[in-house]
Amino acid sequence: MTLQSGPQRSRLDPEPVPRRDLLGLGALWASASAMLLAVVGMLRLPKAAVLASPSKKFRVTLPETLAVGEAFVPPGRAVAFYRDTEGVYAVSTICTHLGCVVKPNAEGFECPCHGSRFTHDGTVAKGPAPRPLPWLKITGKENQFVVDEGSTVPQGTKVNA
Amino acid sequence: MTAMEQFVANLRAAPSRIVETAFRSGKPETDRTRSTFVFGNVFLHLHSVRTHRWSLRWTTTMGLGIASLAAFLITLVTGVLLMFYYKPFTEVAYDSIKDIHFVVPTGRFIRNIHRWAANVMVVCVILHMARAFYTGAYRKPREFNWLIGMGLLVVTLGLSFTGYLLPWDQLAYWAITIGANIAQSPREVTDALNITEYFDPGGFQRLLLLGSDMVGPEALIRFYLLHVMILPLVLGGLMAVHFWRIRKDGGLVKPADADQRAGTTEETVYPVFTDAPNRTYHLAAIVKGRTSQVGRGPENTVPSMPHLFYAELGVLMLTTLVCVLLGLISDAPLKELANPAVPENPAKAPWYFLGLQELVAFSAFMGGIGIPSIVLIGLGLIPYLDREKAGTGEWFGGPGGWSLVKQAMIVGFLSSLAIEAFVIHYGWLREWFPNIPQLFITALNPGTMITAVYGAYSVWLVRKYASARAGAMGLFTCFLCGFLVLTVIGTYFRGPNWVFYWSPSEWPKH
Amino acid sequence: MRKNKLLLLISSAGVLVLLLAAAVEENFRRDWRRIQSAGRSEEGPIAVQLRQVVNPSLRVQDRCVSCHVAMGPGEQGVTGGKTLVPHKAVVHDPAEYGCTICHGGQGLATEKDDAHGDVHFWPSPMIPSDSSYAGCGSCHAALGVPNAALYRQQSAAFERLDCLACHRVDKRGGTVRPGGGGMEGPDLSRAGMTGYDKDWHAKHVRKKEESTSGPWTTAFAEVGEADRKLLDGFLATRVAASPLMEAKAAFHSSGCLGCHKVSGTGGEEGPDLTRGGEKDPGQLNFGAVQDKHTFANWVAEHFRSPSAVVAESKMPPVAVDEKEIEKLTLYVLSLRRRDVPGSYLPKDRVKATRFGEREFAADGETIFTAFCSGCHGRDGKGRRAPGMAAFPAVANADFLNHVSDEFLRTTIKQGRPGRRMPAWDSPTGLRPAEIDAVIGYLRAVSATQSKADDKPRFVSANAESGKRLFESSCSGCHGAKGEGGEGPALRNPVLLKSATDAYLIETIANGRRGTPMPGFTASSTVHRTYAPAEIESIVAFLRTWEGKK
Repeated sequence: MTLQSGPQRSRLDPEPVPRRDLLGLGALWASASAMLLAVVGMLRLPKAAVLASPSKKFRVTLPETLAVGEAFVPPGRAVAFYRDTEGVYAVSTICTHLGCVVKPNAEGFECPCHGSRFTHDGTVAKGPAPRPLPWLKITGKENQFVVDEGSTVPQGTKVNA
Repeated sequence: MTAMEQFVANLRAAPSRIVETAFRSGKPETDRTRSTFVFGNVFLHLHSVRTHRWSLRWTTTMGLGIASLAAFLITLVTGVLLMFYYKPFTEVAYDSIKDIHFVVPTGRFIRNIHRWAANVMVVCVILHMARAFYTGAYRKPREFNWLIGMGLLVVTLGLSFTGYLLPWDQLAYWAITIGANIAQSPREVTDALNITEYFDPGGFQRLLLLGSDMVGPEALIRFYLLHVMILPLVLGGLMAVHFWRIRKDGGLVKPADADQRAGTTEETVYPVFTDAPNRTYHLAAIVKGRTSQVGRGPENTVPSMPHLFYAELGVLMLTTLVCVLLGLISDAPLKELANPAVPENPAKAPWYFLGLQELVAFSAFMGGIGIPSIVLIGLGLIPYLDREKAGTGEWFGGPGGWSLVKQAMIVGFLSSLAIEAFVIHYGWLREWFPNIPQLFITALNPGTMITAVYGAYSVWLVRKYASARAGAMGLFTCFLCGFLVLTVIGTYFRGPNWVFYWSPSEWPKH
Repeated sequence: MRKNKLLLLISSAGVLVLLLAAAVEENFRRDWRRIQSAGRSEEGPIAVQLRQVVNPSLRVQDRCVSCHVAMGPGEQGVTGGKTLVPHKAVVHDPAEYGCTICHGGQGLATEKDDAHGDVHFWPSPMIPSDSSYAGCGSCHAALGVPNAALYRQQSAAFERLDCLACHRVDKRGGTVRPGGGGMEGPDLSRAGMTGYDKDWHAKHVRKKEESTSGPWTTAFAEVGEADRKLLDGFLATRVAASPLMEAKAAFHSSGCLGCHKVSGTGGEEGPDLTRGGEKDPGQLNFGAVQDKHTFANWVAEHFRSPSAVVAESKMPPVAVDEKEIEKLTLYVLSLRRRDVPGSYLPKDRVKATRFGEREFAADGETIFTAFCSGCHGRDGKGRRAPGMAAFPAVANADFLNHVSDEFLRTTIKQGRPGRRMPAWDSPTGLRPAEIDAVIGYLRAVSATQSKADDKPRFVSANAESGKRLFESSCSGCHGAKGEGGEGPALRNPVLLKSATDAYLIETIANGRRGTPMPGFTASSTVHRTYAPAEIESIVAFLRTWEGKK
């Protein structure tokens, strides 16, 4: 413990370079990383781990008689089923413009929000929709199908029934 | 340089300039830069630039004030996170807590920490108050800060109490039912005097608390509002005053000979004013009166940066460690969904109120209003009744000292244990005289008996030592011990119908 | 400062370690993660994430599918361990209804014990898997269920008449039509729920007459009326839950409704059992239960010895074997209610609550065994149980031979005030047609007939001497003040009002064979023999109690 006094060194001058304060630095870095880890952990909280909306995969029972070109919309779902000679397919009825639900009509679908029009297979007939309506992946046979809203298939993929 | 070259040069210098303008005082390596680091920072400048070495010793304060603040910050942060998912409506509150426990990422952990940090805060606040008392930190010029501290104690208990209801389970619902009924206990007196019809502070308090005549959705939303906004803001305001006051009162309390006793230093000790200053420094304000620093140089002080900050960070991290450890190993309780038709038996208030609930079992008024008022008023008067100087800044300083406190602990424990044992074994007035008017019991019950014994003992101490401080130390110690005894009995030894049992295995089956 | 640096370092290191431990615990060591990481679908490994079935209108949010992935919507193809098996084929799609509606448990939980409800503070644990059909009771109310004997008869008739040759019922029987076109006859497993053509027999007969070839010519024969009734009863209980129907039939054979109400009908002495299957195990006393402390075991022990399980219970032990106790336990577990929105409310519940259709069958034997047999014995021959007054033998031929149907009707309707026989003429009791059915059953089983009496009161004798005789010979069983004991209470207003003098005289004179009541005109070594005049004086004495309290 040296006692420096007098004019040897002014308080305004920088101090001589001290030994590296490993303990202090170590403590500070440990504290910083602990707090950083805590923050990272806390940042995970707001992202919900499970969504309270109905499942993306759901079962559909097609009615026995479905005319070619006639759409079957399962109640409460944004999907339109069609059956034709080649098979069964499901078109998503969520407009590719800004997400409104399109309505089936004689030519295909129409969107009430900004007037987009689509044909039966989802192709855009009139904008402002930028992309055709996606076809959703379905599996099953006869009248029982499982729709996976999370997966799309290329236009034209039909399931034999 | 052309304008274009200047522009490019400025753009390239921008990153380092951003850092320089943000941290204007530079690295805190000299005393001056250490000072400006603290003084010039909006978050840090509540601290003094230099701290007395006495204040930094572990035994001076045990870090309890910082620990209380740390616990509060932890509850604040975890509480805000919980607010992302908690829904304060009776149909969904319980399920939202289940969601937090089971599916919210880190939800279970954060909720546990929140619950433990709240308990740690209550404990630290009480211990901090005890430390301030025993070191005479309420004496001149710190009297008002003692009162602010009492306000902080009450708000802390209020925060804990309002948070207790939010899970809306059986534990919460019935604890608050009891709490609200305790708020109504002035009726014990107004009923006995037959004036309730005209003057009903009890009913008013309960209605204000619950927003209805039953614990229900109104109470939940009210408690939620108090818990997440009103009380934290009040606490924040009081804390600001509390810390500001520490500055204005000259820092933490120290004995008059603290400078001599500060001990040998680890660091270089040097006089601070070696040159005549050739710069002007910021003037904080012109104040009336003298600051406590008049006549003293900053010797035996060390720069707050880094000494004080290491100490504060250390305590903060230690508190965090305790809260995180407890949160990891012990789940916050959640019983069945609140059911107004099925009372919990025994229905217990939160632990810090169980001592009062033990007294309330005999007299609702005394346990709920009477004794707490006596305690609060007594605590509030301490700085104004003890204006002595001897022993300030010392643990158990003052006439009597540690041996007085030891003796008071014995008196405090034994008398409360004895009175409780008597009452548990033999019963009390209502058992022997079933028709006795309630006012008799209001006046004469274990709570008032214990208070009377403590009061008599403290008066005896005052006379023996010719010192108000001695009496205060005795009384404070007795109440601490009594609080401990009553809380332990209320927690572990009271079963269904508030009957005394030595262990939960003896409780009658439903 | 060094101390503080150390403190900071050690505390921070500690916090770091604990936070890492918490992160590991949450992200790697959860059971559902372990189970899902073994899961494979036809596209490869499944995504490891929390999963739930959501149905807002039923207020369902069940996370069981986080472990039981293959039971989730559209996930039937997932395999990889014994938890990852698809749900058995059932009527109600778990993807729509969730799991907890039928199985109980804690849907919001993601840990096994919490989810199965095997934790202290969850009041509705999962129904044990061997009693899964108990879950149907949350929403359904099976109507017209007979007692066990009749149920067996009905099932036997269906087997005997070989309806299973064409019709599939509960996964048995049925024939595939050769050349395609489905089954020969419709699947009748849910005929009781969906309804069936009440005219089926006439149509079957016509079809048979019109057919010239094929199965109709050989497989069907006309069914007699009695058998048709049995078949109709059988079909009414086809609701794709035969274990539950058997359990309910057992319940209707044990007389429980005599003291307990279910769905608003029954006696008042015992607690209402409408939601008896929802008891919180945390509130029960398991002191008498030897096996695992589950609610089902508590219920079973309660049947074996009610007073050991519920302090001060006045319920007599249910005198049946262990198989019956299993069935009764299943039925009690099914006594639950779930608030469902109108669109999900099943027809049978609506018929029961809004249109007052009965859950028990309408025949006299069922009503007797469902309401009366608990006290009066399955055969109506009376019952004794420890600590309670004996219950009379109501099917005793000597008794029934001397009373009119009106006597029986009055007794059933008004009960015995002050005694344990309730008054069944009440909104929660029996309807007139049902009371008549019970009387008809008693008549049939005792081979007696109603006896009209045009001179109900004719005795005029000395009541004083009757009193002395009563005290010496009758009070030992009937009580010193006629309040009852081993024998029925004679000082009872309803009894005295409806009993004719002839009935009283006959009973005293000839007794009731098969009960402790002796005939006092016959000579005996244990009691005095009375002359007819003495008997009349006893009757006169009994009559003095009329009109008095």
